Amino acid sequence: MTTDNEDGSVRILLAEDNRADVWLIEEALRRQSLDYRLDHHLTAAEAIDAVKKCGVGGSPVPQLLLLDYNLPGGQGLDILAAAAANPKLAGVPKAILSSFLRPNEVQDAIKMGASCFIAKPANLADFLRDVGAKVLDLLNRQTA
Amino acid sequence: MSPQYVSDVGLQSAGSDRVKLLAVDDDQHNLIALQAILEPLDQELMLAENGTEALRLCLDHDFAAILLDVRMPIMDGFETAEMIRSRKQSHRTPILFLTAYRSDEQLFRGYDLGAVDFLFKPIVPEILLSKVKVFVELRRSEELLQRQTEDLKRTERKFRDVLEAAPDAMIITSEDGRIELANSRVDMLFQHSREILIGQNIRTLIPEWERLTAGPAFDPPAQTELRQTGVRRDGTVFPAGITRSPFHASDAVLVTTSIRDITIQVEAEARIQQSNAELERRVAERTAALSSSNEALRQFTWAASHDLQEPIRTVLTYAQWLSEAINGRLAERERGMLTVIEDHASRLNQLLGALRQYVHVSESGQQQWAPVNCNEVVEATVATLQTLIQETGASVEWSILPIVPSIEILLVQVFQNLISNGIKYRSHERAPLIRISAAATKAGWKFSVMDNGTGIDARYSEYIFGVFRRLHTAEHSGTGIGLSICKAAVERLGGHIWVESTPGSGSVFNFTLPRDPVLESRT
Repeated sequence: MTTDNEDGSVRILLAEDNRADVWLIEEALRRQSLDYRLDHHLTAAEAIDAVKKCGVGGSPVPQLLLLDYNLPGGQGLDILAAAAANPKLAGVPKAILSSFLRPNEVQDAIKMGASCFIAKPANLADFLRDVGAKVLDLLNRQTA
Repeated sequence: MSPQYVSDVGLQSAGSDRVKLLAVDDDQHNLIALQAILEPLDQELMLAENGTEALRLCLDHDFAAILLDVRMPIMDGFETAEMIRSRKQSHRTPILFLTAYRSDEQLFRGYDLGAVDFLFKPIVPEILLSKVKVFVELRRSEELLQRQTEDLKRTERKFRDVLEAAPDAMIITSEDGRIELANSRVDMLFQHSREILIGQNIRTLIPEWERLTAGPAFDPPAQTELRQTGVRRDGTVFPAGITRSPFHASDAVLVTTSIRDITIQVEAEARIQQSNAELERRVAERTAALSSSNEALRQFTWAASHDLQEPIRTVLTYAQWLSEAINGRLAERERGMLTVIEDHASRLNQLLGALRQYVHVSESGQQQWAPVNCNEVVEATVATLQTLIQETGASVEWSILPIVPSIEILLVQVFQNLISNGIKYRSHERAPLIRISAAATKAGWKFSVMDNGTGIDARYSEYIFGVFRRLHTAEHSGTGIGLSICKAAVERLGGHIWVESTPGSGSVFNFTLPRDPVLESRT
């Protein structure tokens, strides 16, 4: 996989309000031996701001967007909308994260530009394996 | 011989259809001759020998004609005629003078006194007979006419009485509405007086009145009450019930229109309509309130299960992470404590999942109805339960099942829960055996899922269908929501579910599905 970053790491924009999940996601990435830099935002507003600025005025463009479905002050869908409006993020995979979603919620997210839905399983082993594998798959798909 | 006697002319006795005649002559022989001449007329002939006698008879009888001899002693014929004429009851009685003298003076006097004719002596019988006959017939036709007039008057009186006695206002008009007759209720209803109304058109009172057209509508039984507007004299109006019926008078068709003030009826109807509308509105309101509260409850359950899921998932995964991180550094007792946290977090997680599934099932009314092959559903369900079936050595058997109009995912839920329950709550003494069958009923199908498990005490046969109701401890891995899901699903499909069980030997879960489900749209 290729990276645009000077240090060769993968830049991931994460919108997640649950710090416990941030740790778990980081653990999952580590276990995939992924060299990553996490651009973490706790609220939808923060994440939307960050998404708008990606690639503007020399600011870096992430290789992956991981967006929690439910966030304080907004939804992952709002961030997807902001991302869709930024042409610099056109080819960047965007995943929606949640414990579970109803089928119509998944469909809405796909329509809004999500590449896929990543479930957060209620079991440590499953979580680490599934999230890690999906992230890796998305990054590989992008560079393939 | 008495001075006056009555003689029946002819042999017949006096009858009502015979008229009375009077012959006055001072010569009895003449009277006998007259009697003989008039006999063929078969009328009642009275005889008088002088004027006084004649006058007395005239007081008591009404004669069709009087034959009066002019030359009589004391009071001659002319004097007698004058007296007869002067009396009211005999004022118009025709008088025929009998005289021997042809004198113009006599004739003029006679005619002045009201003589209708003169007969000259000697009397020619044929002439007398034919002249008297004319008067007899005249009287007869007079009487007939009078009788008819009286009949007519009586009939008309009766008719007016009936008209007056009618409970409604009645107006009789010509075909085009000209008022001929009206009863007093018309006066009351329209505050008019009949004298003014007669001759006017009925449209003055009922502007919408229409003449009856020929055809079936002309048939009185076909006349139904019309709702039109009545206009009172002062211009105010009232709702009027109008019924018209034609009748054929001798020379024209008349129309009877009866008019009823239906204000009270109309007001009552309006009130009923209003209260019906009010009732409908309230029912709609309640229904809306109820379905919105149902919807709110569903939303709440969904949100609660979702919001609780997040922290419990975190607790569960972190307990596992902690356990993994410090593995080998924990005493058995501490490891046990951590396991308790994990187990309970896991259980709570499971319950929330089940709760979401329940909400999902009870929401599934929106799903598509389609013919569902129950054999395929059971086959697929058995495939998903393969692990459980193999672990427990269970067998699942089913007879040929029908294709039913249904929502497939709901039916899957029902079979999945019933089959897995049958296996889970098995007896320790024997390998689980599940038998599924279906029977056609009047309204559709009755499905039975029979097991040979522990069975359920009859007192719990309702209880077990409630949400989170369980009869067993952690020994069985149930969430207590499976049967609630079955119940919600079957009811969504228009059927009902119940259990028959013998504790110790097994249970039969039965549910019905209608052949023609009412495809309700969930509000």
